Amino acid sequence: MSKQVPETIKKQAKRSFNSKEVKQEKNQKRMKLLKEIHEKAYKRAEKYEKEYLEQEQKLVELKQKALKEGSFYREPEPKLAFIIRIRGIVGVPPKPRKILQLLRLRRIYSGVFIRLNKSSLRMLHFIDPYVTWGYPDVETVRALIYKRGHARVNHQRKIIDSNEMIYDKLQKYDIVCMEDLVHEIFTVGKNFKHANSFLWAFKLKPPVGGFSTVKKSFVNKGEHGNREQYINTLVKKMI
Amino acid sequence: MTTQQLRPIVSVFPIKGKVKTIKQVPLPSVFSAPIRPDVVRFVHTNMAKNNRQAHAVSTTAGEQTSATSWGTGRAVARIPRVKGSGTGRSGQAAFGNMCRGGRMYAPKKVWRKWHRKINTNQKRYAVCSAIAATAVTPLVMSRGHRVNKLPELPLVVSDQLQSLTKTRQAVKFLKFIGAYRDVEKVIRTKKTRVGQGKYRNRRHVLRKGPMVVYARNLGIKKAFRNIPGVETASVYTLNLLKLAPGSQMGRFIIWTESAFKLLEDIYGSWEKPSKFKSGFYLPRPVMVNTDVERIIKSDQVQTVLRNRRPRSRKYGKKIQRADPYEDMSVMLKLNPYYKTKLQKQKELEEKNKEERKEIVDKSRKEYEDWLYFSEEEEEEEEEGSDEDREIEVLSDEN
Repeated sequence: MSKQVPETIKKQAKRSFNSKEVKQEKNQKRMKLLKEIHEKAYKRAEKYEKEYLEQEQKLVELKQKALKEGSFYREPEPKLAFIIRIRGIVGVPPKPRKILQLLRLRRIYSGVFIRLNKSSLRMLHFIDPYVTWGYPDVETVRALIYKRGHARVNHQRKIIDSNEMIYDKLQKYDIVCMEDLVHEIFTVGKNFKHANSFLWAFKLKPPVGGFSTVKKSFVNKGEHGNREQYINTLVKKMI
Repeated sequence: MTTQQLRPIVSVFPIKGKVKTIKQVPLPSVFSAPIRPDVVRFVHTNMAKNNRQAHAVSTTAGEQTSATSWGTGRAVARIPRVKGSGTGRSGQAAFGNMCRGGRMYAPKKVWRKWHRKINTNQKRYAVCSAIAATAVTPLVMSRGHRVNKLPELPLVVSDQLQSLTKTRQAVKFLKFIGAYRDVEKVIRTKKTRVGQGKYRNRRHVLRKGPMVVYARNLGIKKAFRNIPGVETASVYTLNLLKLAPGSQMGRFIIWTESAFKLLEDIYGSWEKPSKFKSGFYLPRPVMVNTDVERIIKSDQVQTVLRNRRPRSRKYGKKIQRADPYEDMSVMLKLNPYYKTKLQKQKELEEKNKEERKEIVDKSRKEYEDWLYFSEEEEEEEEEGSDEDREIEVLSDEN
């Protein structure tokens, strides 16, 4: 018994974006792409591990060399900072409030990466009493992005659950996987801006073990302001 | 202009003999006018107000007392009370709408606006819609007319009908053409009016039966006058209140041939204006092609559409993902090199451990050697060291 297929359905089937073949093709393309990304991710991760190790070793070498010569080795100033907002939103004066907004630190225990330069240091100066900040190391950056990294996709906050997500948004900046992202952030590369804005502001937990006193600066046995490398231990408590 | 570019043909039937087509005439353009129940309802509700007679309450009703309020201090309500004594009426409340025998609230006046003006074009629009609806069988049936046995709708009949003079002839014709069932319905459902109209000279209520529309009255009016439910009308003066009684479109109409043809002149078309209504063209529909589904499915539309977007997850499930530092599969999805990295770290640790072990062993050995060596030295020193000791003692005393 042959069924008469209506004209409209026949026409619809003909149209490209609905047909089985096109869907199959699309799917195949996607699978191929995922495989590519997977391979790239492996290779680049390997490359970056080496790079980080080399950097460390280089630093040590230069210091030793300087000692031998009897001079000092001045380390390059840090390029990357991680800021955590440690005060709430009540009673914040307008200037720090605006700066915190600009830095995407809109709630307590939110954290962002920031590139350090003269302008941003000035901004940090204004918001010192409301934040604590420091220079994160690779493992901290990694932990933050892997465990608490959410992407800004379509004006929505979505957890990064695959490299495809990163590829879709940041492929044009040659960032295709998690390790690429970590590398771009940690080394503050050419596309730091885009990598950073891809990330939603980190929402951290209150620190295990608590704070001493947020009202004093870190230097005065309190918590706010620049705490250089001790940011790493703090992030471990808050992640 | 309209989807019906080809004018369909309507059969003309005789008034007696055999029910078969004697002629065919084209359908006038009015029947393709847009059917707008909203316009018809609006015009009908306002038009129906136009045959009202003014009524009002007497101007003096309830006011024909000289009642005055007793004021306060008398343990009674302050409403005006009828003056005087010696009768039951005295002291009773008067004037208020709440009082027995008082004037009503806002007494009705004759100068109430009883009639309504309706824009001429709107009126004509409604009539065109109503006429178009008389050709739509489902509408006529839903209005309640018994039209199952009719040969065709719209029902057009030869002009001989206009020359009928006797009611008997008229009834015979209706039976011949199959329209008598509708008349029977009217007769069968004649009832006493519900409500007080029954003793106000409006005792009976009748349904509406077929309407006969003629071009020239050569006796037809009188012939159909006494048949219950049947109304006659000249095609020049079609009344919306009759075409859509109760603002319900789809009256059953029997047209005479010349009346039917005249419709084209009276109402015109979209190209030619009406000959009788100056400057009047048939109303245009809002949508020429109302088959929306077909429009959407057409090639012209479908080829220009963008692709369907994937269903947005915005209000759907949140993607849960385990902590990559606890779940290795999640970690490997994000960083396939991680496992290798851990392996390498482990190897490095092992290597370092071994190296350290070597170094520690070496240094321990050196230390033990040194210890052993120094013990020997100490023994040697102890044997020959008296002189030194004496000197020391002397120095202390001093």
